Amino acid sequence: MLSRLIRLRWPIPVIALVAVLLVVGLAVVATRDDGPRLVVYNGRSHYGDEDVFSDFEEATGIDVELRGGTGPELFERLRREGEDTPADVLITTDLANLWRAEEAGLLQGVTTPTLEANVPAELHDADGAWWALTTRLRVPVYSTERVDPAAVTGYESLGDPQFAGRTCLRTSANEYNQSLVADMLAKRGREATEELLRSWMANDPDIINSDGELLAAIAAGDCDLGLTNHYYLGRALKEDPEFPVAPAWPDQDGAGAHANVSGAGVVTWTDRRDDAIALLEYLTSVEAQKGFTAGSEFAANPEAPAPEHLAGWDDVVTDPIAAEEAGPLLEEAAQLMLDVGWN
Amino acid sequence: MPAVPASSPPAADPDPAPVDGSPSAPVNGAAGAEDAPGPAAARRRPRLPGWAVLSTVVALVVVGPLVALPASFVGEGEAFDAIARTLLPRALRNSLLLGVGVGAGTLLVGGGLAVLVSFYDFPGRRWLEWALVLPMAMPAYVLVFVLLGQYGLASPLHSNLLGDGLEIPGLRTSGGAIVVLTGVLYPYVYVLGRSAFLGQSRQAFEAARTLGRSYGQAVRHVAIPLARPALAAGATLAVMEALADFGAVDLLGVQALTSAIYRVWYGTFDQDSALQLATLLVGLALTMVTIERALRGRARYHQSLARGDAVVPRPLTGWRRWAAPVGPVVLLLLVFVLPVAQLVAWTVETVREGSVDADLARSARNTLLLGVVAAVVAVTTATVIAYGQRVHRSRVGAVTSRLATVGYAVPGTVVAVAVFVPLVGLDRRIARWADSLFGLDVGLVFTGTILGLVVAYVVRFHALAFFAIEARMQRISTNLDDAARALGADRARILADVHLPLLGPGLLSGALLVLVEVMKELPATALLRPLGGDTLAITVWEATKDTRFDTAAFPALLIVAVGLVPVILLVRLMRTDGWSSAAEQL
Repeated sequence: MLSRLIRLRWPIPVIALVAVLLVVGLAVVATRDDGPRLVVYNGRSHYGDEDVFSDFEEATGIDVELRGGTGPELFERLRREGEDTPADVLITTDLANLWRAEEAGLLQGVTTPTLEANVPAELHDADGAWWALTTRLRVPVYSTERVDPAAVTGYESLGDPQFAGRTCLRTSANEYNQSLVADMLAKRGREATEELLRSWMANDPDIINSDGELLAAIAAGDCDLGLTNHYYLGRALKEDPEFPVAPAWPDQDGAGAHANVSGAGVVTWTDRRDDAIALLEYLTSVEAQKGFTAGSEFAANPEAPAPEHLAGWDDVVTDPIAAEEAGPLLEEAAQLMLDVGWN
Repeated sequence: MPAVPASSPPAADPDPAPVDGSPSAPVNGAAGAEDAPGPAAARRRPRLPGWAVLSTVVALVVVGPLVALPASFVGEGEAFDAIARTLLPRALRNSLLLGVGVGAGTLLVGGGLAVLVSFYDFPGRRWLEWALVLPMAMPAYVLVFVLLGQYGLASPLHSNLLGDGLEIPGLRTSGGAIVVLTGVLYPYVYVLGRSAFLGQSRQAFEAARTLGRSYGQAVRHVAIPLARPALAAGATLAVMEALADFGAVDLLGVQALTSAIYRVWYGTFDQDSALQLATLLVGLALTMVTIERALRGRARYHQSLARGDAVVPRPLTGWRRWAAPVGPVVLLLLVFVLPVAQLVAWTVETVREGSVDADLARSARNTLLLGVVAAVVAVTTATVIAYGQRVHRSRVGAVTSRLATVGYAVPGTVVAVAVFVPLVGLDRRIARWADSLFGLDVGLVFTGTILGLVVAYVVRFHALAFFAIEARMQRISTNLDDAARALGADRARILADVHLPLLGPGLLSGALLVLVEVMKELPATALLRPLGGDTLAITVWEATKDTRFDTAAFPALLIVAVGLVPVILLVRLMRTDGWSSAAEQL
């Protein structure tokens, strides 16, 4: 068929161009955004809480379009798109991502009485650039089959020589780890933090790609002691109560367990500020917060009940991340981790 | 009309003077063809080497975004020093190891299998011949997902074929990554080697036999050397693919250059350093291409296109007869049959429990659409460049056409970002322009739609279409062009009436390769998708990252299944000698 067309003596480049444009054009039309919607850059896209957003759509009649990606991906994209961004709301995990977005001027300050009632002061930015949706603890976890619970008392235990060759850690590229170390830099100082990290490295940890896989590795016997966010373990235990890994709540006599947040903010360049605020208010409401805690995270709204399967986990002594101090130290933290050999 | 038969290919003629657009005319001196009477003579005009110019321009457009990479070394390299001290040594070592390991592995496995199947007959050969192509449909990260899923204990899935908590020693090492990648990439060598062997005429082989060589010697000394360009091209593809792999190495925790780039980009948001790392990777890839060229040498093995005179495989006897199929069968079991069975088992489990993702149909549609669009565009660019190269050989053209294939070795993430940076600027300009001139809100034309992603795919996968089409085009004797020219056909007509029909299989396999790769593609898709338009690969990736294996199972199975369709078509082309009749379907 093509050959016959060409025999009509059309120049091939023209035919090719027309054909390509046709195909591409059709494809673009087929995948176009349909209608005005509240566009959410959603760093929680893999947390399985999409139902919360459809509930919001039903309750308010505002159509929401979720565009998923990792926190850093969304940050990079938003930063480049600038004022042309289609995004109205940024939802992202980890303080590091929230702090960066605020620092880069991607989020605008919003404060409403509802938001202030929903979220305690230490869980939102002073100017309202971001509001926490959930909190999560980054804690040592150990094999219940091979480790004496009393042997794991805090973050120091990961550097305890008795666990030499038995620990595993997630890569230092991970924001959770970077935020933890930045928070340590802020609270313990450079020297103590470096000493602690070097003791961790001295145990020659296996470097693993994700918290979930790390838990699987402990369960499978690859290692005995690791460091994960609590909700990964919560989910594993929800799935299988016999899952042979337990959390060791760190420093319960001292500072407590490092607590980080996931949160949301209104994009600087949104033209739907009111809808965006409505979404934030909804997401921090008790009703929506239940959707988040079903995934084993803790609710940012203190009124929201703790999930049943996490009974006993909600009275842990926690050490909320020092947002203003830790944020500027993130870069130093990432470099320090590489310097001590944490890959 | 001056004939100027420029000596031979890379003539010292970098900026070809507009003589008459005739190619470096081959020996038989048909260069005066333009003078021949015929329809073309009526509208003769002084011509620039139009095809060459077009070809070069297209090549530059394809490679254009990557220019940012070397440019990144201009400027301060402070941050890079820190990376060079900590990340780089290990990443470079791992990437080199991956490249060499996968190159050797695929040559050995893919080449060995191609020889075995092409020259020896044994029980099961007929189905192994095509079954061996199947792993092409299995992306490395899906295989890794299946392997990691065997841990079972943290997974909501319970139908593990090999039981829960199975440990695979050494999986999370560069050795493990090499084995996994070789397992899914060897078909590149196998397919190209096999089709080279099928296209070989029996005469040379029989001449060797007549001269007293044994059958095995004839295979070693005649058939394999003749297939060298194809084998080298296949191994190059596999190595480039391995160097560009991000999903598998990242999931396995192997710190290669790709994951280092991703890490620098998204860890420190230091584009300069990430681009500098990427430049190193591109350098590594360029080295691979150069090596392949060197291996291929100046050799251009024109094979007769006559059918039915390929070497007939010789039946094996005795124990060899039964030993021969063991290796291929075990390989297939490990890298394809068992993983697919596992995916099926998991999928059945998720369907039963009703935990299938609601957005699955939409992501499947998106995936297919992206693949088709990218394939159409890539085949077009590849044909134009290859043909421009053929009709007017010049050093500039040779360099640019080669440059245009570099994207294949660049990790998807880097291509995406290299494409993203200029496109965002362009988008803003277009948006402003449309707004001020027409008061239209066109949005982000490239980065807000799939266009940006298509651009990235073409930059990245153009090479696949180009290699397939160029290799095929090289098999078309230049005598045909000369004959057509002598009969008065112009360049476009020769392409349409002579080349395209003969190129059919090349176009088809080029398009299929692009289609399959796009459907498996992960990092570029993750970055450039109009967010919200998830693809199957994204779904698998995000779920695997998060150990939600139940969400990943069905889309992973779909990726493999959809990927199988073009693979099977490709297989049909390989099986039947009727390359041209299969190509009619296009």
